Amino acid sequence: MNLEVVESEMVVPQHLSFKRVQMSDKYPKGQSRGRHWKHLKQIIQAENYQSCPPNQPNYVNIESPPSIYPSKKFCDITGFEAPYVDPRTNIRYADAEVFKLVRSLPNEYIQRYLALRNAAVVLK
Amino acid sequence: MPFETRPLRQSDYNYFPSTCPIVIDNGGSAFRIGWAGESDPRITFRNVVQRPRHKATGETVTIVGDHDPALMKYFDCTRSFQRSAFDGDVVYQFEIMEYILDYGFERMGADGPEVDHPVLITECACNPVQSRAKLAELLFETYGVPSVAFGVDAAFSYVYNQQLGICDRDGIAICSGFSTSHAFPMVSGEPVFEACCRTNIGGYHVTDYLKQLLSLKYPNHVSSITWEKVEELKMEHCCVALDYFSEAKVFQKGAKEAEEKMRCWQLPWVPPPSEEPPSEEELARKAAIKEKQGQRLREMAAAKRSSRILELENEFQGLEFLLQQLENVQESDIASFLSRTGYVSRQEIESALARVTQSLRKARGEQTEIEEKMEPSTSEKYPLIDLPDNMLSPEQLKEKKRQLFLKTTTEGRQRAKQKKFEEELERERQNQQDEEKRSENPELYLQQLRAKHKELSEKVEQRKRLKTNGSHTNGNNNISGAVGRGERLNAAQRERMRLLTTAAFDRGKGEDTFGAREEDWQLYKLMSKDNDDDDEGPDENEVELNRITCRLQEIDPTFVAKSDVGSVVATEIPRLRPLTKEDFQIILGVERFRCPEVLFQPNMIGIDQAGLDEMAGISIRRLPSKGDRLERSISNSIFLTGGSCLFPGMVERVEAGIRKIRPFELPIRVVRASDPILDAWRGAAAVAAAPCFQMQTFSRQDFYEKGEDWLRRYCLRYTL
Repeated sequence: MNLEVVESEMVVPQHLSFKRVQMSDKYPKGQSRGRHWKHLKQIIQAENYQSCPPNQPNYVNIESPPSIYPSKKFCDITGFEAPYVDPRTNIRYADAEVFKLVRSLPNEYIQRYLALRNAAVVLK
Repeated sequence: MPFETRPLRQSDYNYFPSTCPIVIDNGGSAFRIGWAGESDPRITFRNVVQRPRHKATGETVTIVGDHDPALMKYFDCTRSFQRSAFDGDVVYQFEIMEYILDYGFERMGADGPEVDHPVLITECACNPVQSRAKLAELLFETYGVPSVAFGVDAAFSYVYNQQLGICDRDGIAICSGFSTSHAFPMVSGEPVFEACCRTNIGGYHVTDYLKQLLSLKYPNHVSSITWEKVEELKMEHCCVALDYFSEAKVFQKGAKEAEEKMRCWQLPWVPPPSEEPPSEEELARKAAIKEKQGQRLREMAAAKRSSRILELENEFQGLEFLLQQLENVQESDIASFLSRTGYVSRQEIESALARVTQSLRKARGEQTEIEEKMEPSTSEKYPLIDLPDNMLSPEQLKEKKRQLFLKTTTEGRQRAKQKKFEEELERERQNQQDEEKRSENPELYLQQLRAKHKELSEKVEQRKRLKTNGSHTNGNNNISGAVGRGERLNAAQRERMRLLTTAAFDRGKGEDTFGAREEDWQLYKLMSKDNDDDDEGPDENEVELNRITCRLQEIDPTFVAKSDVGSVVATEIPRLRPLTKEDFQIILGVERFRCPEVLFQPNMIGIDQAGLDEMAGISIRRLPSKGDRLERSISNSIFLTGGSCLFPGMVERVEAGIRKIRPFELPIRVVRASDPILDAWRGAAAVAAAPCFQMQTFSRQDFYEKGEDWLRRYCLRYTL
């Protein structure tokens, strides 16, 4: 190991005295362990929140409901108030200047702009 | 978070008694660890792990948190990236969590056989039991921790600020963290999670939005727009607008006020070295070299030509000599004589001689048009043509046919020559006329010429467009020249379509008489795809245009011919210009307040949940037992904490938003934590240092005896 790296102490040591089980014993080298963790979605499913009493708070039921205000329309390109929608690309735009830009953009960029507000066409 | 120096390993670990708890704020973006009762965490680092391979030894190493980028050259990071143990705000990858805890305890200076201190660690509100149990298991079994306690960071922050007198015992805590934001009421100093509400939006989303917007706006500088840099820009320049649309209007109008609000990030840029025009001397030197080279080439060509002439002369003499000799040879011996020379007959030798003579002439640069000079009169050359057929023998008939053919071709050639000559004359005449006009009034002439050029080029253009169906509208579709939706067909294509459809639908209608007449078959020719052009050579407009273009180029120095008229695309080619300083600037205008706006309107990035201000209202609505007095008092102490509350203007905006949803004239007070980032840890350290803390922990023995399920009911008391 290079001197510089050792001096910076950036690497976590392999053996740590305060651990009962060392990392290398827990996850031996060269053994494929498969996936040993669950995504948040799977964790929530396993928690079985449906059977809990509804007044008891849990991770799922504390989530905020949608806003009571009507959602405002923002220009996808500039962020200004957007009174118009381009029917061809579905991009919201503020004025004629922006519209010119929208029409000159390649499709990839249009999709990326739409993806920003989760409105892109996703092909599965 | 910008790179900070690596935290030093603490040396005083052994001075702390084993009853002194270790306090960990396990946040989505940063990990903070320190001792209970102290005012600041000992160690702080970014909560990420990277496991690259060391290049020299090939072993996989673990690097936790940020590091000096200069040292990364020793590691192969191709298959490793920075990973977090969090999915949203829940710990889900415990292997990564273990690396992080390893590093944290190691930096704290732990060196005994186990970590013999109670641990207080933060978690999100209503953490799923599975995640909490796994973390407890990790702490108990791997580190041998005697007992653990779990608490919510926002509540700790509230408690700490309550101690400072910033907020009251009853209030609402709004915490906007890295990946989520929470709001819950605090009643008598305890959080009420029944009324908690969470929106899955936080600082991560703000940074990500800014990064995406900038990379879309400046596609040339994507490589400079790194996560770390954007995070820095966000912290330095972003703010919350009190009223988003009115602020945006200022920018839309492009007023001077807006210009002052813009921020500019200058990327490193080196001006290109300016090229000096070459000096006179240099030019002269270059010209001399060129001249010298030209001279040498000319000499070489001359030498080659003379050697070729010599060669041909030799051959000519040899052939003549051969013919002379052949005169002397007897008729019967000719065959044997010739077999040695490689020729078969006298005729062949003669023709070879003629060929050599020709090429010799050519090489010497003499006129080659001998056939024309010795052109005999027609009757001489083609004696059989005028005789009637019945006077000739079959052989003569054949000969006559040949002569006829020869005659027509020669005549044709002559006619073409004549025509060309006449055209030349015509052009000459036109030029002369032009010249006269020009000498009369050069200005007017030029003007007329230009006007004519314009008119003609428009005509030609239009014709082209009609033919090629205008594929220059935009690059969005139609790149392959196919007819897209909403594009018009040209006349020829329309006609073809019509024919195809009538052919398709005519079938079975009455008697089929197709093919009875000869003209019917012409239909297929019309239908075939390559029919749709009527290119019988360039049309006259084009010819005329070419002539005028040439003329203009000759006499008008300012005239620039449009890239050759034949090309289809009429779009302007962007002029290449040297890159300037302005091309390396990244301007933050609307983005400065557009990105933090997602905290208030998650709809902007497609998350259909309430924003920060509304969350407070939802939380109050969800409060199960509320009297009028409580409702008044909690809205009088609305407390903001978490890293995303650092934006300037946050407090005012939240206050304005809450005022909209709360009853009229209700006292509303919004306060910000004394330090929105560190207060959670400080509060936790204070709670852990309180004497009653020991009663609140969950011991290892409990874990083994009561099992995970007991953790479900575990609840820390925050009151100090």
